[in-house]
Amino acid sequence: MINVKNLAFSYTKAPFMEDINFNVPKGEIFGFLGPSGAGKSTLQKILTGLILGYRGNAIVNGIEVKNRDNSFYENIGVDFEFPSLYEKLTARQNLKFFGSLYSKQLSDIDSLLNAVGLDRDADKKISEYSKGMKSRLNFIKALLHNPDILFLDEPTSGLDPANARTMKDMILTEKTKGKTIILTTHNMQDATELCDRVAFIVDGKIKVMDSPHSLIMLKGANKIEYSYIENGIKKKSNCLIAETVKDKTLNLLIASGNLRSIHSCEPTLNDIFIEVTGRKLE
Amino acid sequence: MKTLRLTSADIKIQYKYGFYLLYSFFTLFYVFILNIMPASWQKTTAVIMIYSDPAAMGLFFMGAIVLLEKSQMILNSLAVSPIKISQYINAKVLSLGLIGTIVGVIIALSAQSNNIITVIIAVFLSSVVFSLIGLIVAFKASSLNQFVIATVPFELILTAPPVITLFGYDNPWLILLPGVAAIKLLSGSYTNPFLLILIQLFWITVSYFICIKVVKKTFRQLGGCKV
Ligand SMILES: Nc1ncnc2c1ncn2[C@@H]1O[C@H](COP(=O)(O)OP(=O)(O)O)[C@@H](O)[C@H]1O
Ligand SMILES: [Mg+2]
Repeated sequence: MINVKNLAFSYTKAPFMEDINFNVPKGEIFGFLGPSGAGKSTLQKILTGLILGYRGNAIVNGIEVKNRDNSFYENIGVDFEFPSLYEKLTARQNLKFFGSLYSKQLSDIDSLLNAVGLDRDADKKISEYSKGMKSRLNFIKALLHNPDILFLDEPTSGLDPANARTMKDMILTEKTKGKTIILTTHNMQDATELCDRVAFIVDGKIKVMDSPHSLIMLKGANKIEYSYIENGIKKKSNCLIAETVKDKTLNLLIASGNLRSIHSCEPTLNDIFIEVTGRKLE
Repeated sequence: MKTLRLTSADIKIQYKYGFYLLYSFFTLFYVFILNIMPASWQKTTAVIMIYSDPAAMGLFFMGAIVLLEKSQMILNSLAVSPIKISQYINAKVLSLGLIGTIVGVIIALSAQSNNIITVIIAVFLSSVVFSLIGLIVAFKASSLNQFVIATVPFELILTAPPVITLFGYDNPWLILLPGVAAIKLLSGSYTNPFLLILIQLFWITVSYFICIKVVKKTFRQLGGCKV
């Protein structure tokens, strides 16, 4: 569905995005994971045709994005990282307007509003909406024309956990319908949960690319955590698997048979991101 | 088809944003003024009113609409939708042209105009010229202030020559200006209306060409890349 080869781009004369290569097959959720300013939105703008001055190839749905014509967009849904809505229109009027731009059969507006819990606010003006409500509306606006490829730029940012949950479930539902989804995020939990594969992006470059599961397992369960009772108080400690020999407390506990519990803990995608890129996500 | 759908959507949006309330207010006010003034002044005054309000308002309304769309990031959504630049421009121009023409006809009728057909043609064509110029300037401007300042020279070129013609100064070359051609059509003081219409169509073609270029360039640069 998406083939990117030797892609390079910069807003300025100084090099920025370089040597980007990846392929996303149909039906996959592919994540761009990286800290703010890494170039995630820039990459999405290239793939959606908002930036045309790139080098290399960006082929989306069989079309080199540079050479797209307007029909290219019938099958592409974009959720920007900012609201893109008429403030003085209601949610329903906004959806109707944006829907009218497409020739395709539209999804049912009421069911979409329902799905993100905006049914009761459907006839309120956007100027009365909270930031989270705007994000939710912006999200269903991208689904409205039932596109084959979805580009979601930080869709869950600024949402409370319940609404984020609903949105993530909707994203997974779209996947089961065979949609190809590019998901930009700096939230590693979302990435772990949703993405079939993620690309770690830092300073305009892809540092590593794999499934969250393999990335986590590749690094293995590198730490153990154990608990014990000392002076009647339950205590916890941990150490690296490779360094159990050096952990005196642990060795003493083992020798005296006083361990209460012991288990290995897997690193999070966040830990791995820091290890691979030397950078924090947030 | 899509242009018509977009036009009707634009009309709804302009209505929701309160533009038509403003139009109705001006129309009522103008009709009231026309009715209380001496009958001998009515015709000339109506011509000025039609030219300055339904036709020329397009310039400012267009500025307001486009700057709103820019600030609410609407252009980004439009840029990733299947509409063409020409459809976008046509819908904007048609929607304002339509309402302008209706208002123009109301004013003309209340001044007992006897050349309503040329009034309809003239007010629609001048509205298109003004709207296109409004679009060009609004797409170039980054703030309302910049827009207002940048429209001044256009306003002068479009309104000063027609007004001096109306008050007696006549130079045959002046009809080549879009405003003068429009005023002559509005006031019914012509021998060859087709020439005047042709002159307006010429200016529409020129400004449409520039408009397409300017709007295309802005859309192309929405992502922040200058090439
Ligand atoms: N329109 C623009 N013009 C110039 N530089 C930009 C523009 N948009 C983003 N940048 C710069 O490009 C880099 C990547 O930005 P972006 O792709 O938005 O990052 P992310 O989405 O990963 O947070 C940042 O350093 C940002 O300042
Ligand atoms: Mg971003």
